[in-house]
Amino acid sequence: MTTGRVRDNVVTYLLVALVLIVFMTPIYLIVSSSLKPAPIMFSRPPAFLFTPTLQNYYDLFTMRPFHLQILNSLMAALGSTAVSVTFGSLAAYAISRVKARWMNDVAFWILSTRMFPPIAVVVPYYIIFKSLGLLDTPLALIIVYSTFNIPLTVWLMKGFFDEVPPALEEAAQLDGHGVVATFLYVVLPLAAPGLAVAAVFCFIFSWNEFLFALMLTGSNAQTVTVAVMSFWSSDAIQWGRIMAGSFIVLIPGVIFVLTCQRWLVKGLTMGSVKG
Amino acid sequence: MSSVVLKNVTKRYGLHEVVHAIDLEVTEGEFAVLLGPSGCGKTTTLRMVAGLEDISSGEIKIAGRRVNDVEPKDRQIAMVFQNYALYPHMTVRQNMQFALKPQQLEAKEVAARIDEAARVLGLEPLLERKPSQLSGGQRQRVAMARAMVRTPKVFLFDEPLSNLDAKLRSQVRVEIAKLHKRLGTTALYVTHDQVEAMTLADKIVIMKDGNIEQIGSPEEVFARPRNLFVASFIGSPAMNLIEMTVESQGGRAVLKGAEITIPAPSGAAGKIKVGQRVTVGIRPSDLHIAKPADSGPVYDATVDVSEFLGTEVLLDLRVGGAEMTAQIPAQEKPAEDQAIRIAFDLNAVHLFDTASGVAV
Repeated sequence: MTTGRVRDNVVTYLLVALVLIVFMTPIYLIVSSSLKPAPIMFSRPPAFLFTPTLQNYYDLFTMRPFHLQILNSLMAALGSTAVSVTFGSLAAYAISRVKARWMNDVAFWILSTRMFPPIAVVVPYYIIFKSLGLLDTPLALIIVYSTFNIPLTVWLMKGFFDEVPPALEEAAQLDGHGVVATFLYVVLPLAAPGLAVAAVFCFIFSWNEFLFALMLTGSNAQTVTVAVMSFWSSDAIQWGRIMAGSFIVLIPGVIFVLTCQRWLVKGLTMGSVKG
Repeated sequence: MSSVVLKNVTKRYGLHEVVHAIDLEVTEGEFAVLLGPSGCGKTTTLRMVAGLEDISSGEIKIAGRRVNDVEPKDRQIAMVFQNYALYPHMTVRQNMQFALKPQQLEAKEVAARIDEAARVLGLEPLLERKPSQLSGGQRQRVAMARAMVRTPKVFLFDEPLSNLDAKLRSQVRVEIAKLHKRLGTTALYVTHDQVEAMTLADKIVIMKDGNIEQIGSPEEVFARPRNLFVASFIGSPAMNLIEMTVESQGGRAVLKGAEITIPAPSGAAGKIKVGQRVTVGIRPSDLHIAKPADSGPVYDATVDVSEFLGTEVLLDLRVGGAEMTAQIPAQEKPAEDQAIRIAFDLNAVHLFDTASGVAV
């Protein structure tokens, strides 16, 4: 191996190590702090070796109905993902296939709603849902999250549908299949990596969302992100329980990404190299 | 009965007309080829027959039924696309099953049709493979099988060989010819390759700029091109074309131009007049090295370049002021820059009015 190549490898590994340190340090802190007893939480020097305890996790599920809050988050995230992926992909297909000048304006308008600052609409949403009697329900969160996730799905899926050759749909049309069958059996399977990418992004956004969950939910539909922050009060900050809750919040996102990793990589890089 | 009839069919995109009131009849069982350069309207015409493009005016009939407003799926047609259009996520068998699904046939009937098509096209070992695991020629055969299982009244082919290499192209061309001979189904085939047209067609429809230039058998369009475009498009190498003027010499009409003089063919005597600008066409295969027994015109020529093709040689010649190509047997090949004498049969000469391009 030449000196230059050795040097390049060393630099590469150093950079990778640096990135890993930056990204893994917070996770290490969360995990280690969630397992530390309170007295050694902020010891100086930091305690790297200690006897771990599950007390924080126990408190999480006994002091709050955390399992119900996990369920609320799951309902909101999965519900919004299902709605967004369904309607978003249908809209993206129409935008991809209908060749009309005004369709570009429609597509841009849909995408522009994604850029809307959430803080600007939280109060109007509060008023709307209060008048509809939907405050403190998972349905309210599903609706709100979908308004942000659908544009993202449309933007992602349009690119994938554009890659599907129209000749495939013409072949299906000549065989006698209608638009729905062609979409379901020909186009959608070919855009599956895009669906995976869209689903992951929709889920993670919805699962991690805090502002709307804080403002639109109370005791019934409270999500894990709000529940974790409920251990932060003016009287005391219960770090151990916050860290334990944070770790639990991390898990579904990690599982989702690892499960869909193959499709994520394929979906995010599809079309970048002519093949 | 005509299987496919186009009457006064026109296609416009906005104000831009791309197919101009064409008339065409394809009889049942006939293999008709739409031939022409890119942008001539041949694929648009095929897609109008398929129902994938609306027609702006005119009428299309398939098997005696007007199909202007009939959905593609109800026209009893099947199409083989240029890029195969195989469903990449389905196996070969599933591709064919999916094509038959709307017909709601019994599973036994579906299996029987797939097995028959696979047997005819040699696809039996490939049925469980996906398109990505097939070669280009195999994919095209699967595309044909997928069309065949639907037992259509008309097969439509949209440049099916253009994505294949030269060797595969000739192999699959033979497959298509065999399939047509076996099934006897009417076929409408689009190509820009005249070799495909000449070898496959019962009838060639030559198109240019949205118009039909000539309709005829391969022998007809080769031997009696109707105009300059057809004459130069059909035949490889292309026909030699020399612009000349009709003059009178010793009471006989002669054609003069490019420093050579050619006696006017006897068949053209009454159709040309002195002073008329004509274009003389001579096919490279009609030129030969002059022999003592030749009674027709003989001309001095210099060989600029010779291209050896195995059994024959193409000679780039300078004849007077004209540049011509001759196609001669390989054993008669002269040396380059050698002065030779060439001859041709006057009856093989084609005459076209230069101004209109129409054959005299």
